[in-house]
Amino acid sequence: MATSETVDRSPALRRVESIPADATVRHVDQLEPSTLTWFLEAIEAGPTAALEAADLEDGDVIVFTACYRIDRS
Amino acid sequence: MTEYVIIGDGISGSSAAETLREEDPDSDITVITDEGESLYNRILIKEHAKGKLPEAPISIHDEDWYDERDIDLSLNTHVTTIDPDEKTVHVHQDENISYDKLLIATGGTPTQLPVPNSDAAGVHHFWTFQDARKIKESAESADDAVVVGAGLLGIDFAAVCGAQGVSGKYLMRGDRWWRYALSADGAEIMHDGMRDVGVEPVFDSGVDRFETDDNGQVTAAVDPNGERYECDFAGVAIGLTFNTEFLYETDLEMENGIVVDEYMETNLEDVYAAGDITRFYDVLLGEQAQNGSWGSAKEQGRVAAINMAADERSEEFQWVSSYSITHFDFPFLSFGHPTLGDDHAERRYSDTEWRRVAFKDGKIVGGVLIGDLSPQSTFKQLMREQREVADQADVLLEQSVDIDKLAPAQEQ
Repeated sequence: MATSETVDRSPALRRVESIPADATVRHVDQLEPSTLTWFLEAIEAGPTAALEAADLEDGDVIVFTACYRIDRS
Repeated sequence: MTEYVIIGDGISGSSAAETLREEDPDSDITVITDEGESLYNRILIKEHAKGKLPEAPISIHDEDWYDERDIDLSLNTHVTTIDPDEKTVHVHQDENISYDKLLIATGGTPTQLPVPNSDAAGVHHFWTFQDARKIKESAESADDAVVVGAGLLGIDFAAVCGAQGVSGKYLMRGDRWWRYALSADGAEIMHDGMRDVGVEPVFDSGVDRFETDDNGQVTAAVDPNGERYECDFAGVAIGLTFNTEFLYETDLEMENGIVVDEYMETNLEDVYAAGDITRFYDVLLGEQAQNGSWGSAKEQGRVAAINMAADERSEEFQWVSSYSITHFDFPFLSFGHPTLGDDHAERRYSDTEWRRVAFKDGKIVGGVLIGDLSPQSTFKQLMREQREVADQADVLLEQSVDIDKLAPAQEQ
């Protein structure tokens, strides 16, 4: 597993400690197969260009072993 | 105009309703549920019980969602019987609802432990959003917990205890957690994860009875060995009882669930089923199977709706399911049918990494990945392609799986 430092350097996938009430939240099991593959690779190695093809919106939160927010800004 | 009736507003029923509206815009669609709230995110309710997630993001559809799609939603409505000859659904308000095509997606209800005082205050089962709210409230004030049910659902209770700071004993009947899918090596990683959050696994145990105080509050669990474990919170997750009692007077084929083919058709004309409740024909496995994952239920609902709207066998259900446990520092993913098949291969890589691949007739039919999930897409691809790879297990068990190292499919 990559450390959270690896992920936190990414501009697209950020570990968060709390989830706002208005967030769109999905469990990792709810990701489409291609998005799941992208997400797991991004956790391990940092986001790749494949993010553009992933069906994730800015601000979406994914529940995995920690919570990760999609940040496209 | 076709009248569709869907019993159940979980992810499979809701997915079917959405697909039917897309496929048959002029139809009448009615969704009936005995729950008091519309579709919510059943996977995330455990995060709410852990205190990690507020309520609001768990709701998926408000009632406007149904209005906007001209779908008639009946909450708090209990179906008592169906009449497949008359094509009617009878509900508890003494009303008959007619249908042209019916989808049953009623899922299950947690099975109660058949021991004294299993209905005591403080003894919880975990299935609905309302269950999660009660579990959260109860766990927040609890000191000592007992968890029963050494499977994928029971471990959620262990995680709730860990997250809520409740000291727990996880009483298991055998010598390890999920003994049907994990060897001792794999299970030990999970046991360490439990211990890390303050829940101690207890093996060759279980519950013979619960003890209560004068107010009916659980105070202890006693196992078959006579060991007594004090607790003010108990979580029971020994399985699901499928909600089929309203079908007993019909000739619907059932075998611990509703038997359907790969098109989600039952043996009764114009009656379909989807979701946890089905025993479906798995085209990849080559036999009837069951699956309780979110993705499988959603896809079954969609495929059922496609075939209902087409009025023919238009699309078959073909899906490789995933079920993750995300409670610990390391990830866990079960895919396909890891407890089935005729052969398997496994390897432990470190204190937090383990892998098992299950085969049937030489083909992958499922597996479990702990710690390193990177091979999941490759294994699922091999499942879909139905490649015979059991004789190349050494390639599948390499830390980094290179599909190009496998013998080409056409040479097999």
